[in-house]
Amino acid sequence: MVPLPYRPSIRAVKLMDNRGAKAISKKMLDGIFTVFAAVSVVFFSLRLAAGDPLEILLSQGLATRAQIEELRVALGLDRPLFSQYLDFLRSLLRGDLGKSLYTGRPVISLIKEQYPQTIELAFSALLFAIGLGLVLGVAGAILKQSHIGKIAEFIANVGISLPVSFTGILALFLWLQALHWATLEALLLSLKDLLLPALILGFASAGALAKVVQSGLAGSLREPYMLAARARGIRPRWRFIWHALRPSLPPVLSIAALEAAFLFSGTVITETVFARPGLGRMLVNAILQGDYAIVQGIVVLAAALYVFTQALSEILSIILDPRLARQQ
Amino acid sequence: MILRGAPILSVGWLILITIVAVGAPVLAPLDPQQPLGPPLSYPAQASFLGTDSLGRDLLSRLIFGTRFSLSIALLASAITISVGTLFGLTAAVFPGLFDRIMLWASNTLLAIPGLLLAMLVVARTGTGLASVVFAIGIGGIPGFLRLSRALFIQIRSQAFISSAVALGGSKLWIARFHILPNAGPRYISISTIHIAWAFLGATSLTFLGFAGDPSIPEWGSMLNTGRSFLNQAPHLAILPGFAISATIMAIQSLGRWISHISDPLDAGWRSSQSGNRNR
Repeated sequence: MVPLPYRPSIRAVKLMDNRGAKAISKKMLDGIFTVFAAVSVVFFSLRLAAGDPLEILLSQGLATRAQIEELRVALGLDRPLFSQYLDFLRSLLRGDLGKSLYTGRPVISLIKEQYPQTIELAFSALLFAIGLGLVLGVAGAILKQSHIGKIAEFIANVGISLPVSFTGILALFLWLQALHWATLEALLLSLKDLLLPALILGFASAGALAKVVQSGLAGSLREPYMLAARARGIRPRWRFIWHALRPSLPPVLSIAALEAAFLFSGTVITETVFARPGLGRMLVNAILQGDYAIVQGIVVLAAALYVFTQALSEILSIILDPRLARQQ
Repeated sequence: MILRGAPILSVGWLILITIVAVGAPVLAPLDPQQPLGPPLSYPAQASFLGTDSLGRDLLSRLIFGTRFSLSIALLASAITISVGTLFGLTAAVFPGLFDRIMLWASNTLLAIPGLLLAMLVVARTGTGLASVVFAIGIGGIPGFLRLSRALFIQIRSQAFISSAVALGGSKLWIARFHILPNAGPRYISISTIHIAWAFLGATSLTFLGFAGDPSIPEWGSMLNTGRSFLNQAPHLAILPGFAISATIMAIQSLGRWISHISDPLDAGWRSSQSGNRNR
């Protein structure tokens, strides 16, 4: 048989070696275990602590004693804790998160109902955050000595520190003032639902990203390979993007993954300030009502998102900087 | 330029609010709980900063709010920092199974966002200021544990610890007289920055209405009740919001400044990693 000709393009497509793949599969296993552990912690902490969720229904006069006993049997709450736990895990594997105590509807369908709103906000906030974070971080790193760099750093610090409750209310206030300006009214009304909260939320996330971009870039710009690249006559722009920016991206990715996991699991305060429906509002209401099935469902989602985004960022990091696989 | 004066401004603000918190009964012109004037008056109408929706004096409420907001954040941080330091130090001194368990537990709990973890605690204890303290105190432990553990382990891996071991020092002695003192400024820096997060977290929870009684003059609850009147009396929300933001920025800038003067090369971004997820 004629041996296949050597094709360099295949090598270029092969993004990582065996070690990289091994590191990633280990991360995946770790991740599944983390979700399992987080879910168990939540399950037991919601049940072992004092207080019977069904007694709350009784004390609020929402149900009679007989109805509660009936509900208790229907929900399986009369059985020993450990068998409830096994049941919970079994139904979790089937993608069933249980039923809401108040409405009796499956938690999964409640989440599905609210989720599009959350995704919409989280996605636009994340895009804005990554864009602004990169700009601020790069400006802070390469213009470190000038006023522009210092201002970029200051804006990033402000973004990290200011509570969304305050920036959101401030934005809402300015928006209300601008509303008096009748010519812009139609435009402004369309801004309030998505753009305003996304900007506020994205601004807060951008601060953290800018910090990591800046410190990573400051490190890689000092590396001797930057001098070597310059000596080889590589164009400044390419040198900056490929030699300086690329190796400083893995920590940025891991922060971006944290932000994404957080944003996609519901942003309680932003949703409250802007009176938007979404997972965050649902969670607060569930906590105030004592509806632990919903709380549990949202925590499962948050933990799974965290693990998933972390794994994704690890994989992308190893592709960006293959040395990382060898360090593990 | 702008940034050079930041630590001085921050320390000034923190001293000011501490004095205000301690001297609240003397400094407040009126009773923060009693309706005294017409509702929703503008500053300098009925009183210096105007009145809220129930006719209570805003300035007095802000002054008493300093007490509540600061003490919630400080008590919660005390819980987090003492538990986190204890476990972090023990993990650094016993590098075997205990350290692995601690690392694993904190990583697992970090899969749940901090505010969500705090809200889980509130879900069990019910609303109220005490449960906010516990919730923020417990919710911060995984993040602080991870930071302090990393710091202590870095110190433990240095040569003088090995020589202390070779001299026959006990674990407790090494932890107390070698690791803890040498963690010094950086430990103070991460703790300071943690207090800023605790403050942010506490005001976030009270903003969401977890303080229980809305008549308590607490900055987060005031921000929450004030936002319904953004059109008629914007100062009701903006002033407490400003006070919260200024305090967070002041504590953080103090923490960053400590970390900068003690360790100029570490840009200090690591401390922000555990940070702001209170959105």
